[in-house]
Amino acid sequence: MVHLSSLLLKKYHGGHVVIRFALAGHKQANRPFYRIVAAYNKRARDGKYIEQLGSYDPLPNIYNEKLVSFNFDRIKYWIGCGAHPTKPVAKLLGLAGFFPLHPMTITEAERRGAQMETETEESPKEGQKQADVES
Amino acid sequence: HQSSYSRLPLSVQVARLLAPRSAVLVEAVRGRKSRTDPVAKSKEGRIKVPPPVDPVEMVVLKERYTEYKLIMRALRLEFKEEVLRKKYEEETGSQAEERARQEAEEHRALMGWNNEENLRMLKARILRVQKEAEEAERKKIEAAIQREQEQQEFIKEKEREILQLQEEVKNFITTENLDQRIEEALDNPKNYNFAVNKEGKVIKQTVLQ
Repeated sequence: MVHLSSLLLKKYHGGHVVIRFALAGHKQANRPFYRIVAAYNKRARDGKYIEQLGSYDPLPNIYNEKLVSFNFDRIKYWIGCGAHPTKPVAKLLGLAGFFPLHPMTITEAERRGAQMETETEESPKEGQKQADVES
Repeated sequence: HQSSYSRLPLSVQVARLLAPRSAVLVEAVRGRKSRTDPVAKSKEGRIKVPPPVDPVEMVVLKERYTEYKLIMRALRLEFKEEVLRKKYEEETGSQAEERARQEAEEHRALMGWNNEENLRMLKARILRVQKEAEEAERKKIEAAIQREQEQQEFIKEKEREILQLQEEVKNFITTENLDQRIEEALDNPKNYNFAVNKEGKVIKQTVLQ
C-alpha cells in the first residue's frame, strides 16, 4: 500500500525523538554504512536528523572487525531528554556495555549454540553410520 | 524447536529503488500491493502461521525482559536527573553568580567609556558648529560689502555717462541751429575719398570735385 505524504513536519513536531540507524551514502549499492542518529520519529530514515551520535559499519574489515563508534555523553543527554533507542541500537549498546545485555542477544546466542550442538551430534552419528555400513 | 527468522521487507527497498524521482515524497508502507490487488498465484492457498513458541524459552525470556526493562528504566531516570542537575548548575550554580557579576562590571565600564566618548564628540561638535556659524556670518558680510561696492560702481558709471551726454549736447543740431549748421556745412565741403596703395599706404590727398 503506497500512500503520499507531504514534506513532513518541518516546524510542528508532535512526535518523539528516537536514536536509530540511518543509512549513509545510500547512492552506493551493496556497501551499507549506518550512522547512529538522534532524529524525530516521523522523519524519513535517511532524512534530516537532530544530531549524529556515532556510526556502525556492518561489513567486517581486513582484520575481521566490525567498527562501531558512540558519543556516550550526548547519548546520555538524549536519553535523559526522553529519547527511545530502537532494537538494533539497544542491542549494540548492550554488547558495548553501556546498556545491560538485550534478552534477545542472549536468546539468539543460546539458540545458535543449541543448533551447533545438534549439528556436531549429527555429523559424528553420520560418520558412525557410514563406518557401520562400510564394515 | 526451530524458530524462523523474520526476513527484512525487501519489497519496501525494491519499491524505493524502482520509484521514479518525484517532487512529492512518496513513502512505501507495508509492501508493494494495495488492498484491491489480487493475491499472487503462488500464494493462493497459503495460510500464514506465526513462528512456533517454545514455552520454556518464553518463560526465561519473559524473566530476562522484566529485568532488562527494570534496569533500563533506572538508567533512564539517572540520566534524566543528570541532565536536570547540569541545567541547574548552569543557571544557578557557583560559577553562574561570578560570571553574572563580571558581566555586569564589564557592562558598567563599557557604558562609562561610551559616555565619555559621547562628551568628547559633543565638545568637538560644538566647536565645529561655532566655527561654521562664524564662517557663514563672515561670508554674509563680505557678500553685502561686495553688493554695496557693485552698486556704487554702477552709480558712478551712470554718472559718467550722464556727463558724457551733457558734453555731447553742445554739439547737437537743434531747430534753432539748423539753419546755421546747414550754412556751415555748405561752406566747408569735406572730402571723404581716399586711395589705398598695393603696399597698403593710405593716400588722403585727392582732388575736390
